Amino acid sequence: MRTIHTSTKNQRISTQELLTSIREAVEQGECDFVIEAQGQHDIPGPLWNSQGKALHITVRNPGQRVGAMMLPGTNVLVEGSAPADVGWLNAGGTLIVKGDVGDTAGHCAASGTIYIGGRAGARSGSLMKHDPLYKAPELWILKHTGSFSFEFFSGGYAVVCGCDCEQGSVLGDRPCVGMVGGVVYVRGSVGDIPQDLALLPLDHNDQAFLNEGLDRFLRAVDEKHRAPLLKDWEVWHKIVPAPKQELVRPSVAQYRKASWIPGGLFADIVADSGIHAPILGTGLHRLRIPVWENESNTCLDCHKCALTCPRNAIERTQDTTLTYTADPATCIGCGLCQAVCPNHIWRLTDAPPLVEHLPGEKGRCVMDNR
Amino acid sequence: MEAINTQDIATNDLAWKIEYIPERCTLCGSCVAACTFAAIAFVRVDLPHKKTKLLIRQEPSLAHCCVGCGVCEKLCPSQAIRPIANPHSRQHLLTSCSGPARRGGRSNLQRQRTVDALLVGRISQMTDPSLDAERHTFDIKAPLGRILSPDKLPLQRIGDTLTITGKTPPVRWIYPLLFSDMSIGALSTHAWEAIALAVAYLNEVCHIPVRMSSGEGGMPMKLITSDKLKYMILQIASGHFGWDRIIRTIPHMPCDPAGILIKIGQGAKPGDGGLLPESKVEHHIQHIRGVPKTTLHSPPNHQGLYSIEEAVQKMHLSLHAAFGFRVPVAIKCAASSTSVAVYNNLLRDPYNICGGFFLDGVQGGTGAANTVSLDHTGHPIASTLRDCYRAAVAQGLQGQIPLWVGGGIGMTGQAAADAFKLICLGANGVFIGKLLIQLLGCVGNEYGRCNQCSTGQCPTGICTQDYRLMMRLDIDKGAEAIVNYVLTFDSELRKLMAPVGNSSLPVGRADALISTDAAIAKQLGIQYAC
Repeated sequence: MRTIHTSTKNQRISTQELLTSIREAVEQGECDFVIEAQGQHDIPGPLWNSQGKALHITVRNPGQRVGAMMLPGTNVLVEGSAPADVGWLNAGGTLIVKGDVGDTAGHCAASGTIYIGGRAGARSGSLMKHDPLYKAPELWILKHTGSFSFEFFSGGYAVVCGCDCEQGSVLGDRPCVGMVGGVVYVRGSVGDIPQDLALLPLDHNDQAFLNEGLDRFLRAVDEKHRAPLLKDWEVWHKIVPAPKQELVRPSVAQYRKASWIPGGLFADIVADSGIHAPILGTGLHRLRIPVWENESNTCLDCHKCALTCPRNAIERTQDTTLTYTADPATCIGCGLCQAVCPNHIWRLTDAPPLVEHLPGEKGRCVMDNR
Repeated sequence: MEAINTQDIATNDLAWKIEYIPERCTLCGSCVAACTFAAIAFVRVDLPHKKTKLLIRQEPSLAHCCVGCGVCEKLCPSQAIRPIANPHSRQHLLTSCSGPARRGGRSNLQRQRTVDALLVGRISQMTDPSLDAERHTFDIKAPLGRILSPDKLPLQRIGDTLTITGKTPPVRWIYPLLFSDMSIGALSTHAWEAIALAVAYLNEVCHIPVRMSSGEGGMPMKLITSDKLKYMILQIASGHFGWDRIIRTIPHMPCDPAGILIKIGQGAKPGDGGLLPESKVEHHIQHIRGVPKTTLHSPPNHQGLYSIEEAVQKMHLSLHAAFGFRVPVAIKCAASSTSVAVYNNLLRDPYNICGGFFLDGVQGGTGAANTVSLDHTGHPIASTLRDCYRAAVAQGLQGQIPLWVGGGIGMTGQAAADAFKLICLGANGVFIGKLLIQLLGCVGNEYGRCNQCSTGQCPTGICTQDYRLMMRLDIDKGAEAIVNYVLTFDSELRKLMAPVGNSSLPVGRADALISTDAAIAKQLGIQYAC
């Protein structure tokens, strides 16, 4: 057991001096430390004992990023509170903070466990993820978090117990934005969460996980007396990504049927309102119409028109007189009959305005009735 | 054999030539039947030994010239036919021999747009972190209406509360992309309805508060007697078409319209009026506009206006009063060297009623204009806007009369970038017109394709009153395209707002922009970078 005081004769030692002395001691086999810090950052950083023994480090008054980048086997206990970025990028160690922590606690933690015996600041738990090769990371918070907590949370477990937080959201404003994986357990009220997440009651597995985990957590932060209060599962929820649901908008056609002005905007003027037809049309939709004009009686009855017509639209009849007609149901008005006719009997004419043929009472306006 | 003279028109004189591969042609007739311009026809050619052959021939005629719309190519089952642009065209020359040429669409002179020389160059990174475009909550709204300066707000502190003690001008906070100014008449009823339908859908399903300016061609009674009226900005231009009916319907309106837009001028043809020839005043146009079958003139000026001051007093006051002082009234002009003077006059606005200054730039579209106006009149929008904004800033009046700009927005396909840059230069919002009909299926472009809006022969059913052609436009599909484009616009706008760190529209934040053109940078007062 080594105790390190970080000031001698009113002279504070630097982070570099502190961390170097810890590393040297670890290399010499020391596994237990008590550090009386004065705001030095990154205590202790990635540390390992060459024989794989566990390291135990108790810290008072740390600077930022205490417990950051810890390796498995590192156990850090902070007596009191800690500033921002506790447990940042935790790679497998255990961090216990008995008091409050600053912003972005557990940011990007990928493994290991972080216990916080007080409140956590803004953006806590953001971007936590679970490296599938290792055990999932855990972040336990006794009280509540600041706003924007658990942004882009993609794996692992976060537990926010909501103690001493009788008003407002336990997770602050706009929690869990961009969360795509993992579970956030929360006791107490939660503000609005994004639509792609679900706020669900606990199932048996959740209860078993919390039941066992809470005992460990509360023992670690000396809050065992809160256990009965915290184990009322009715007031807990979990936040998880909702099952992927394609946000289905109604089609415009569906919307028009349900919510648009009945009959369309112009239904009082033209009965057509809204009819759609393909570019190529037959019957009234033809731009041009072939007319068989055998006035001079020069039709050779050669059948060329009927044989060439791409739509087989031309019919020949001979009751008393010979007649060729183009069937409006199939003729598209291409004029091939006109071109092929040796005696120019077929003539392609412009179709009359379609509006003359539309059904309904033309030209009636609402105002006309008033 | 028929004699051919040098003055006779050949297909090689025309702007578009038909490329036809007879070996591929199946003689199905689709292309010929569907060509609204009758630019192609079947011919029989006589070959030796009394043999004949059927071919498709392009008409060597100005009246039936191919316009490059490409409907033939679209319908051809065997890729046997398509129009190709003819670099040796003499068409413009030949057309001018029979009076001034008219066409629709936009300038064909390919002027470079200023916004294309601008980049969003100030990207927040270290000192002021950028925002998350997907998840941040953005406030994407722009005002339509007169914004009072804080010291003029009728607020009084009573105890610990602020109380409104008087009336404030009506202001609508709407989406900064406004659907603008294409009348029923310029557009087919199908096209106009598709746009209106898209607006209602965007509001009611997507919760994007897009508004649509009606254009001046009358209003469908079924629309102005419905609650969808709240999405509509009613336009009044010099012809006042349909306005007697709008006035008669005021007692029956279930809600107020979103605004009134007084149109003074149009960017595509500033100083020029409009005309709907008698032949196109179909019976439904008569009924919507409330006119007899006659040629309809929209003169280049409002006959009753003689000065800016009078314009403000008469048009603004009267329309403001007509709708119970509850509806914002704005004014639209073509961008011009004199725009700043006009804006300065509007800013004096003693009645606090000018609800917006709409500026339409040279790249704006039109249904019909003399080609000479389209090609040679107009004013770029960027410096006009910037000058107006800076004039307001110099007087401490920026933001009080919202600036809306348009003309060529989205010409390169990305309206969000254009909108963002113009907003940074001082615009509150932008308006689009031609882009909307392109989304509906219009094939016209700046390279002389189609642009036959003035002829009524629109092959896509958009700019025509011929029901046979109108029916080609599928209203639902057209509206769906507009809706999807606006949703893309919305996410793209966020993608530009986020990197500069703005949660609300960066109006006047020209520091976000750089220009790779030194002259443009100097004129706009932004950083030059290379």
